[in-house]
Amino acid sequence: MSEVVLRVTDLSRRFGGLEAVRRVSFDLRRGEILGLIGPNGAGKTTLFNLLVGLVRPSAGRISLEGRDVTGWPPHRVAAAGMTKTFQNVALFGEMSVLDNVLTGGLVRRSLKEARALAERVLARVGLDGIAGKRAADLSFPERSRVELARALCTEPRVLLLDEVMAALTPVEMNEVVDLIRSLRDEGLTLVVVEHHMRPIMSLCDRILALDFGEVIADGPPARIARDPAVVRAYLGKAHGEPAGPDAGAAAPR
Amino acid sequence: MDLLQAVVNGVLIGGVYAVTSIGLTLVFGVMEIVNFAHAAFLMLGMYIAYHAWALFGIDPLLGSLIALVVVFALGAVLQRTLITPILKAPQVSQIFLTVGLLLALENAALIAFGSEFRSVQTPYQTSALRIGGIFVSVPYLAAFLMSVASGAALSLFLRRTAVGQAMRATAQNPTAARLVGIDVTRMYWIAFGLGTGLTAFGGAVILPYMTVFPTVGGQFVVLMFTVVVLGGLGSISGAMVGGVVVGIIQSVSALLFPIHLQNLVLFLVFIAVLAVKPTGLLGAGR
Amino acid sequence: MKRWRRCLPAVVLVGLAAAAPLVLDPLGYPMRVLTLVFLFAAMGQAWNLLGGLANQVSLGHAAFFGIGAYTSTILLRDHGVTPWIGMLVGGAIAVVAAVALSIPTFRLRGHYFALATLAFGEVLRVVANSWTEVTGGPVGISVPFLGDDLAMFQFTSSVPYYYIMLAALVGVSVVFWRIKAGRLGYRLRALKENPEAAEVIGVDTYRAKLAAMLVSAFITALLGTLYAQLNYFFDPDTIFGLATVSVRMALVAIVGGLGSVWGPIAGAAFLIPVEEFANAFLTNQAAGVSQLFYSLLLIAVILLEPRGLVALGERARRLARREGRP
Repeated sequence: MSEVVLRVTDLSRRFGGLEAVRRVSFDLRRGEILGLIGPNGAGKTTLFNLLVGLVRPSAGRISLEGRDVTGWPPHRVAAAGMTKTFQNVALFGEMSVLDNVLTGGLVRRSLKEARALAERVLARVGLDGIAGKRAADLSFPERSRVELARALCTEPRVLLLDEVMAALTPVEMNEVVDLIRSLRDEGLTLVVVEHHMRPIMSLCDRILALDFGEVIADGPPARIARDPAVVRAYLGKAHGEPAGPDAGAAAPR
Repeated sequence: MDLLQAVVNGVLIGGVYAVTSIGLTLVFGVMEIVNFAHAAFLMLGMYIAYHAWALFGIDPLLGSLIALVVVFALGAVLQRTLITPILKAPQVSQIFLTVGLLLALENAALIAFGSEFRSVQTPYQTSALRIGGIFVSVPYLAAFLMSVASGAALSLFLRRTAVGQAMRATAQNPTAARLVGIDVTRMYWIAFGLGTGLTAFGGAVILPYMTVFPTVGGQFVVLMFTVVVLGGLGSISGAMVGGVVVGIIQSVSALLFPIHLQNLVLFLVFIAVLAVKPTGLLGAGR
Repeated sequence: MKRWRRCLPAVVLVGLAAAAPLVLDPLGYPMRVLTLVFLFAAMGQAWNLLGGLANQVSLGHAAFFGIGAYTSTILLRDHGVTPWIGMLVGGAIAVVAAVALSIPTFRLRGHYFALATLAFGEVLRVVANSWTEVTGGPVGISVPFLGDDLAMFQFTSSVPYYYIMLAALVGVSVVFWRIKAGRLGYRLRALKENPEAAEVIGVDTYRAKLAAMLVSAFITALLGTLYAQLNYFFDPDTIFGLATVSVRMALVAIVGGLGSVWGPIAGAAFLIPVEEFANAFLTNQAAGVSQLFYSLLLIAVILLEPRGLVALGERARRLARREGRP
């Protein structure tokens, strides 16, 4: 069994009266691909925001490679080796694709090294053709890919992917799945949030299911698919129950 | 006793600061624009009241109502012509548009009225009441009472009238307000007109004890912003409390410090509030 | 090879500017106007670091300008310290002030910073006006006349001042260019576009903005000393003035084009002569006409093209290209 690279203990976050994340605990081992599923409003994006430091926890601890990073600002968490992609893709619109990706490299590298690294990463994800294009001019799947490249350029140990497969064709989806697998083979540990069940089931070693901010199941894909609590969480919602307030947004200032 | 006198003076002046600053916070609350030109409307109110007195013999306390109406109209026009185009513009543009407006108004006043200092003469200008051992200057008291009255009127307007409630709704959530049928564009110019008009009103009521000149607004700039930040940007009740607090701070520091340090004290309070509790003493700001 | 070609227009312009005193009358008006253009372009460039690159709008840069001017002049007048050193002391004080202003306000939304800087500039103006023992009060302060003395930063001819201002402009522009092209530049551009995303990928947004602020404040203070030496005299309302300094230097950058190294140069080249022209023709009219004109121009520029002359030029070029197509 490989070592624990991320340990989350009793992580909680309230926004006023709403507990968006409740006592979430899990271990992540090196080389694992952990899937994070749950209905809308379950707290998945909030959990990601807590892990990277965009939101401060109300309680609980986050330990990255043995270091306590609880409450650290995002740039320190990134320097420590953990970063995320944004669900709605947050590129620097006026900058070129290369400049966007390069900026990720600046956390650890000089400008020259970051540029070289960015060029390699772009080639790796298949985007070297558009390196000079203005980010705001790209299509959504291209932007999503650039965001992934930018995150990779920070040379993370743990990468959190928030719905990278949204709006992709099945062919594109397979490409992303292969890419994620090869990243894992190179030593990266990933947590993937996805609504499309097929890639999740085939890609992930383990799945964490969230509902109303709590972990309701944690195990291998085959077991999770049959878990009654998970089924209830999804089917219960599909029967017209409101999905609960969306706790995915960052806290109001 | 000196201290008590200073506090009383501070409260009286503070009431006026409150009324002049309410407009600033109202505009921010409804439109999310910081109107850097706000102090210039105070100056305009003073000039309007001055001319009403000089030409028609109208006491500034009554002239304040004329100032309110005239500047309300002016504010509404300016909002529709200058402010509306920049509501969605980047912050740099918003800031500099109102700064440009500040300079334009001050210099227009300079050209129109000249740079001389002017003041009014009213029969009650130098009278004071004696309550206990404290002297209460009559012009200060009159200004204070008028300010409280207008603050109360504004409060009633916002709480009890349909337009007022629509404005509060717009301040909370413009999109939702639109969806329930509120004409948000109308709310904007009413708020701006009201905000600038109230400041002009405030300028007029202090005319009995202040002189007017084109850049008189300058001394009030730091003051108004301190009041608004203390009270919380966007909070009207905060502005009222903030006004009185600033008045007291100013009055007491005049007692304790040499003149060149007094303004510094106020500024330090301003920065301290920003550092410690940017949402204001009452925590109601944004 | 390519980079050399890109520097060419700049080199040509500097060459022309350097040659100008050979044909211009040293006592003449054009020389004086050009010197002021260089000074204000440099000031605009310093403001541009913060307002253009880092997207933090400061309405109180006059504070740093005045700190520089007063520090070096008081040190010279009272202790005989050469302005070359006094300049650096002023710069250091400005940096301390800048840090003190930034710490509480950078984490808040932009208009709080604008308010704080505005308040700071105004407060210093009032303090300078009332602290007569030290600053001379509202009547202003004069730089003691020492004749031709390079060590004391004084010259009887206007030509050395011209070259010093030109050098200052070139220097500040190079600083701006290098910052923009370097790591700090990327970080600032990123945080301007999306501060949250920038943080998540490792940009310390607070530190980046602070760095821009400190460099900007330091340079502005140095330029304040240059102004004092050039003019021999200044008063609180001029040196700490919202309109005369703070807004003017911002306007130069905005009109010319925020965030671009050529912006403030274009802005100053346009605005300062226009202003001098207006002043010359309108001095018979009431005071305030040129400032009124100025402020209306500011309003007009913002309503027309919020991104400045350089962007206006780009927009025009793009339109022309589109019209050219059948």
